Amino acid sequence: MTMRDVYIIGTGIHPWMGFSEQVFADFAAVAVEGALKDAAIEWQKIQSIMAGIFIYGGNAGHLSGQYLESIFGETGIPVVNVYNACATGSAAIRMAFNSVVAGETDTALAFGADVSPKGFLTAKSDNAVQDRDVIRWKMGGMPNPIYWALECTKRMAKYDTTEEDLALVKVLMSEYGSKNPEARFKKAYSLEEVLNSVYVCEPLRLFEICPVSTGAAALIMTADEELISKADNPVKINATTMGSAIYGDPTIRISALSCPSVAEAPMLSESYSASRQAYEKSGIGPEDIDVLELPDNSSWHYLVYLETCGFCGEGEADKMLRDGETRIDGRLAVNPSGGFSSHGEALSAQAIWQVIECANQLRGRCGERQVDGAKVAMAQTYGLMGNSGTTILTV
Amino acid sequence: MENMANTVARIPNLVDWSTGEIRLMSAKCNSCGTYFFPREHYQHRPGCSREGVEDVLLPSKGKLASYTIQHYPCPPPFKTEKKITPYGIGLVEFEEEKIQVAGIITDTDLEALELGMEMETTTLAMYSNEEKQQVVTWAFKAAK
Repeated sequence: MTMRDVYIIGTGIHPWMGFSEQVFADFAAVAVEGALKDAAIEWQKIQSIMAGIFIYGGNAGHLSGQYLESIFGETGIPVVNVYNACATGSAAIRMAFNSVVAGETDTALAFGADVSPKGFLTAKSDNAVQDRDVIRWKMGGMPNPIYWALECTKRMAKYDTTEEDLALVKVLMSEYGSKNPEARFKKAYSLEEVLNSVYVCEPLRLFEICPVSTGAAALIMTADEELISKADNPVKINATTMGSAIYGDPTIRISALSCPSVAEAPMLSESYSASRQAYEKSGIGPEDIDVLELPDNSSWHYLVYLETCGFCGEGEADKMLRDGETRIDGRLAVNPSGGFSSHGEALSAQAIWQVIECANQLRGRCGERQVDGAKVAMAQTYGLMGNSGTTILTV
Repeated sequence: MENMANTVARIPNLVDWSTGEIRLMSAKCNSCGTYFFPREHYQHRPGCSREGVEDVLLPSKGKLASYTIQHYPCPPPFKTEKKITPYGIGLVEFEEEKIQVAGIITDTDLEALELGMEMETTTLAMYSNEEKQQVVTWAFKAAK
């Protein structure tokens, strides 16, 4: 069976920012408006909406698709609301892609919008029985970065990762963030500044962990040949996948209180799974990728994701970074956007934003951060409790 | 073991002291051999019949497989009457059970933490409740 070719024809974002009193749907509307303009199509051309939910918005937040549809005008089209933790955007993209590829619709919208909570992230309910995530909050004293720090400590004992390597990630990310007009954090940091910042949970320092943000992102994809031909530098989606964890994964996963001591599956197995599915489905491998947007929630993520997704061997990511291989002019441009480090994370919008950054690179829209001759890009997500998605794009 | 009279775990079915030793409450699947902690958080081997799951207690001692030192207080609903920040979180490995368990490190010089050192399961007093009971969580400390 020949699959239909699906192209991204329009993208839009609301720039990432801090806490806001404004309604999440208003941010979504800005992003969707931007995507419609970029695609140069009218709202009625959208035939399905795959919406990342807004978890702090109660009932309305869980029905973000309907909320958004009513703003632009209800047309009776399929609307599905999805949640896969920080891979929510991946799920929205995949649902839109599958809808078009299967011929259910020709043109689909995927979006996500998040308003960061004021103060710290914490438990989402009070019910330790139904909501097992509550235990690590009520008794474990374990906010998210603790999980990354535990893995980072293991990594530093196993390989030659140093505190300088962790700091170098921030230095590089901030260099690119300073060149990105849409970045929330535009300050370029020196190695000394990062190494002098306080520890949050050792060995991770304040500047090596991304904060949360408000933001929204939307993209429109289609198999309609006329719309593709009229679009400005449309980008083909070669594969968009979702992975879940594999039994025997030794990673201490956010929310869990235990993990296997003997590895029977790769670390970050959900990401391993999503990326390998994408390589197989697209026929494109890590060696073919020009631009990679990976989920740098912390400096640890940056290093381990290069290995997990097969861009280098185990324990080799530090050297890749130190040798400049991941610079914009290096053999693999990693996070030319400036990464989560320069933006913070807007949960349900994040994965869509990563794909948009990749698409912008392939469409030559990145100015000072442009990767020369970028033809193949990959966006990789990380989501707690075993969520992940990979998208591979080409022009 | 300390005097555990009038002491209650903040959430039940996680830590036990009825044997005279403080031990974590786990479950073992006798079909696929996997141990679970918490005991209701099943993670069977794919294709397992899921039959023959029995409640077990983990050994009181294990080896420190990883740790971090947390420099910011954990937000509510976590609470302790006494300030504990900075506090350690450890991953303690129980070798035979092939499981590593996360928990607060207490009663231990954080500067002296070393991977591979022997740790003992204990409890950390969090606060007193309305019934004047001592509410505790599970924790680990350097084994004597």
